[in-house]
Amino acid sequence: MAHFAKISEENEVLQVLSMEDVHTADSEGVETESIGQQYLETHNNWPAHLWIQTSYNTHLNQHILGGTPFRGNYASVGYEWDQANNIFWPAKPYASWVKNTTTASWESPIGAAPELTEEEAAANKRYYWNEANQSWDLTDPVA
Amino acid sequence: MEKKVLTEQALYYGDVSMPKGFEINSDKFKADILQAKLENNNFKFSKNWDRLNTFIKDYINLKHKISLVNKSTFGNFYKPFTLTEPSLQVDPVDLRNSPDFVLLYGVQVKDCFIKIFYDDNRRKGRSWDVELKNNMFVMFPSTNMYIIGNNDSKDLNFIQTITYEYI
Repeated sequence: MAHFAKISEENEVLQVLSMEDVHTADSEGVETESIGQQYLETHNNWPAHLWIQTSYNTHLNQHILGGTPFRGNYASVGYEWDQANNIFWPAKPYASWVKNTTTASWESPIGAAPELTEEEAAANKRYYWNEANQSWDLTDPVA
Repeated sequence: MEKKVLTEQALYYGDVSMPKGFEINSDKFKADILQAKLENNNFKFSKNWDRLNTFIKDYINLKHKISLVNKSTFGNFYKPFTLTEPSLQVDPVDLRNSPDFVLLYGVQVKDCFIKIFYDDNRRKGRSWDVELKNNMFVMFPSTNMYIIGNNDSKDLNFIQTITYEYI
């Protein structure tokens, strides 16, 4: 199956469709994105250049079956299509976070949350991003 | 002090901004409405209708997280200087099969307004007027009564209605 994201002219993902591989392949069976785009334009009333192929098995720029990752993340409604970086981005979680194009994920300006110690993990504690203070705060879910 | 909203009566409205080259053709859409009128209001699938319907469903889902499912559709035209009888798309004795929302789309309109009636707690029978323009839609709950007015002196107003339920 091939998957295509329908995007708006503002690069927002409107919906994701799956289609038979035969609709994206030429007469010799070679899959080409433009063939799928043309098929979707004809049958779905939306311009070919606003259909972007996406990989069901790509997440955070890793292919979960060990293959080659494709366009960062599997697209979903509300995602942003970033043509310059060739990546589908989920919604920005916090205003201060920035894109990491290597991992196709959003990162805090001070990096990832610190590792939990064994005691903290045993106590079910978690780090939460504090946007006001621009810091990772340790929160005790029991408290 | 906390607040919990139990229900809301929201209007959704705006232009149907299709990509260049894929705009809704109002002349053909108007012809589809007239054709349906000649065939006992049996509105057939058309490319223009599909563009409108898909646009609404995609954007309402994207912007408001509401998944819409089609219930019915019909087109109509309204004579100059006329006001329709109050309309209600919900069937009070068959709520199970009634739609949740009514959408009105201005196919080709001039000096057209929609008056939507609503209750604000004990303040009953209030109304809100929306001016419907070409290529503009307004969507509201099917439990709201509405009337359509044509203030123009010579032209017919063509409006497509689509009803939806949400899941």
